[in-house]
Amino acid sequence: MGADEDPGPLVRMYVVTGGRARPIGEAFDVVAVVTTLGMPYEQAGLSPEHLTVLRMCVRPATVADIGVYLRLPLNIIRVLLSDLRREGLVSIDRPAVSAAAMNERIYQEVLNGLRAL
Amino acid sequence: MDYARSETLAIKILVAGGFGVGKTTMVSAVSEIQPLHTEELLSDRSAAVDDTTGVEQKTTTTVALDFGRITLREGLWIYLFGTPGQDRFWFMWDELSIGALGAVVIADTRRLGEAFAAVDYFEQRKIPFVVTVNCFDGARRHSPEAVRRALALPAHVPVVLSDVRDRESVKEILLTLVRHAREHAPSLTAMP
Repeated sequence: MGADEDPGPLVRMYVVTGGRARPIGEAFDVVAVVTTLGMPYEQAGLSPEHLTVLRMCVRPATVADIGVYLRLPLNIIRVLLSDLRREGLVSIDRPAVSAAAMNERIYQEVLNGLRAL
Repeated sequence: MDYARSETLAIKILVAGGFGVGKTTMVSAVSEIQPLHTEELLSDRSAAVDDTTGVEQKTTTTVALDFGRITLREGLWIYLFGTPGQDRFWFMWDELSIGALGAVVIADTRRLGEAFAAVDYFEQRKIPFVVTVNCFDGARRHSPEAVRRALALPAHVPVVLSDVRDRESVKEILLTLVRHAREHAPSLTAMP
């Protein structure tokens, strides 16, 4: 177990969340859709990553997309999003709706969309 | 502000199979973005798994998660998630499979054991799935029926021969899965 093994990326990731590994509040899915509700009047207390998420989600995006954009692991993204939700700055769709939300019309739309790819 | 909400839907499809079986290849064949390789940080859940050295370890295990995206229209996306099929990563399936439309199990006929485990997993959770046999160059061709027998698959589970490098072939797998899910999704029977 080398002391010189690089712990860098992980350490940096947790700096982003202030050392927190778990999001606060209700859990949300990796494909939950995040929408920015408003920009804060003052940006104190928000990290650059928080602000990036807010700018990005003016157009609704999924948790997974945000992870890609910020190049951060999903657990970290979840912590950041839960902060923004607590502040009322984003809405996050309720988790795990995709299978239950399917109906015949959407199935048909998905099949047609796939065929047209 | 809420106008688009009912029309916004992200559909999850899981891609299962052992290491090197073609999960990432399949995702990249249809994804509009480079298959993304993110790392999921594990916290205390990983402690028991990795406890081989006696070294204190809590938060430093990572696991790769590949995913791709297909935009069908503004507000309707398919996300494909490929994660490792080994037992130690199944907690990730537990999370990803919630609300998933269905799953694709890529079977390598030389290593059917890994496909077995995935088939068991999805059957137990009543997640619709299809099995595909990746017939890449040089691989022996297997009849779908032989694979069905070898995996003891119920008659209603589709088995598709494919080349997961080929976009059309992957589209066909996904079409087969969506049609299968439409017929067998538990949520539809629960909600008349």
